[in-house]
Amino acid sequence: MHILLAEDDTETARFIAQGLTALGHQVTHVATGPLALQAASDATFDAVILDRMLPGLDGLEVLRRLRAVPNRVPVLVLTALGGIADRVDGLDAGADDYLVKPFAFVELAARLNALARRVPGPEQTTRIEIGEIALDLLRREVTRCGKPVHLQPREFALLEQLMRQAGRVVTRTMFLENVWGFHFDPQTNIVESHLSRLRTKLREGFSDDPIETIRGSGYRIRTDA
Amino acid sequence: MRKPKASAAYRIAFTYSAAFTLAILLLGVAIYIAADAQFRRQQDAALVDEASALAHEYNEGDLPEIRHAIARREGSNTINAYGYALFDRTGHRVGGGLNTRKPPVGLQDIMFVDPVEGADHARAYATDLTRGLRLVVARDSESLEGIDQTIVLIFGGAFVLVIGLSVFGALLLGGYLQRRLDGISGVARAIMAGDMAQRVPLSDRRDEFDAVGSALNTMLDRIGQLMDNLRQVSSDVAHDLRTPLLRLRNQLEQVGQVPGAAERAIEQGDAVLALFAALLRIAEVEGGALARSFVATDLTLVVTEIAESYAPAFADSGRTLGWSIAPGITVLGDRELIAQALINLLDNALLHTPPGTPVAVSLEADAHVATVSVADAGPGVPPGDHARILQRFARGEASRTTPGNGLGLSLVAAVTAAHGGTIAVDDNRPGLRVTLRIPRVDVA
Repeated sequence: MHILLAEDDTETARFIAQGLTALGHQVTHVATGPLALQAASDATFDAVILDRMLPGLDGLEVLRRLRAVPNRVPVLVLTALGGIADRVDGLDAGADDYLVKPFAFVELAARLNALARRVPGPEQTTRIEIGEIALDLLRREVTRCGKPVHLQPREFALLEQLMRQAGRVVTRTMFLENVWGFHFDPQTNIVESHLSRLRTKLREGFSDDPIETIRGSGYRIRTDA
Repeated sequence: MRKPKASAAYRIAFTYSAAFTLAILLLGVAIYIAADAQFRRQQDAALVDEASALAHEYNEGDLPEIRHAIARREGSNTINAYGYALFDRTGHRVGGGLNTRKPPVGLQDIMFVDPVEGADHARAYATDLTRGLRLVVARDSESLEGIDQTIVLIFGGAFVLVIGLSVFGALLLGGYLQRRLDGISGVARAIMAGDMAQRVPLSDRRDEFDAVGSALNTMLDRIGQLMDNLRQVSSDVAHDLRTPLLRLRNQLEQVGQVPGAAERAIEQGDAVLALFAALLRIAEVEGGALARSFVATDLTLVVTEIAESYAPAFADSGRTLGWSIAPGITVLGDRELIAQALINLLDNALLHTPPGTPVAVSLEADAHVATVSVADAGPGVPPGDHARILQRFARGEASRTTPGNGLGLSLVAAVTAAHGGTIAVDDNRPGLRVTLRIPRVDVA
């Protein structure tokens, strides 16, 4: 992917750029708001990582101007401001995702992947099939190899999230945000306990687990299962 | 003390005395004009009366008789000091001692020659008698001028006195106001210089200055309390951060020597960051700005979601989570904050109870207040510590060794307060029960 990184802190920028380059992405780095706006207007990027507080032009203002064009490039806003009102401001300005510093690099990478491949416009899909597993979004029904699997609503939502991101990692905080709508991290790992039930149900009668745990990162559905 | 020119107190006092002085001046001028006009009218009327009386006498007699009458009046006329003159057709004075020329008929100001003072002004009335004679009765203007002068003198004196008193009063008043205000600004300066213990001195009069001073003192007390709180919190934060940072440092030292030390160090770093996140969240909630974005929130739904989401985690840890949730209860609030408060209570129940402990969540309500409670049948907290565990970094003695940063319940308390509610901690016999009471809203 070609990613625009607008971040004024040299250390953070190097950390992110090195990590993304190691993952095989191409990174263009700018350090000020006006440069970010210009770069995003001049070239086509698969995703933009935008620091909220940039010199010259505030990150949210850059975002507003981009969206006014309109430029629909996926934008992930990075910020040190973790307040509830701050996040609402970021999303109102047109951010696709909002990540509060400090963050783990795997979290950023997973979110970028999810963002960049998101199909623009509303999801019209009513059925997702990955390997042996099929998800009927209208009837809320799941089958594995045609055999029905009975899931609780939250287990269904977890599976849907994994299948929409097929082959890519979904982190714990992504589950918390998308399934529960929580932008904080409970001390108790509720994601883990729901996922273990989901896995048990999906594995029943089969020998293998279609969900992989990526250590220190998150979970991924196997596309070959 | 400030120069009188720059002082509002003196400016007000002087403006007030200037207005007062001007009022006196206007009063003096008005009285002078009114009195002068009144005296002139009376004098004119007296002249006309006198002339009429003489004319009446003459019209009944002849010339010698009227001369005689004039002479008699002039002789006895020491009190009202009238002067008389009688002219014939040719303009010759044929009677009376008033040395003047023949004037036209009517009221007028004339010049005459005073035997002592020379040429002088007089007020005169001339009227025609029979046989071509013209009678003039006059009165020296000196008497009127004397009265006018007296009025001017009295008012002039009064005016000077008033100016003197006003200036004196203004200086006195200005000085007083200045002194009272200097008391307040002196305290403000002392506080700016760092002496927070200073308070505005109050008098026994309970006047406006005392009201302002008393309000300022109350404000200073409140600021003092807040500063003490802040100091306490900062020192708590510094103190409580030392332990995890020390642990982090030790783990970093072991990196490369002990396997898994790097991962543990990252975990420890995350714990420190979580502590900061919790502190910032509490500060955000206590700041009160969030209340502006509060909306009608289905409490029944939130509590049900959380209970259902936590049931598997409780089951995994060998505890049981039961719930009884009344339907259709709505409060004004923020879904995520309420969820976080409940989650903190459930996290606590998981952390501080032995496996196998039953935990119960309940939501009920009367007409006005929704009551959410999380109760466990664990070891509980000594009753003496019930109030203390709501404070930042407070941890029960028994939980020193369990993970946690002592901020969970502080956030619950802050969230409850932000929703206009109250929090209560009591003994569940056995165990601990935390109860949140939040005002309901009616949704139409």
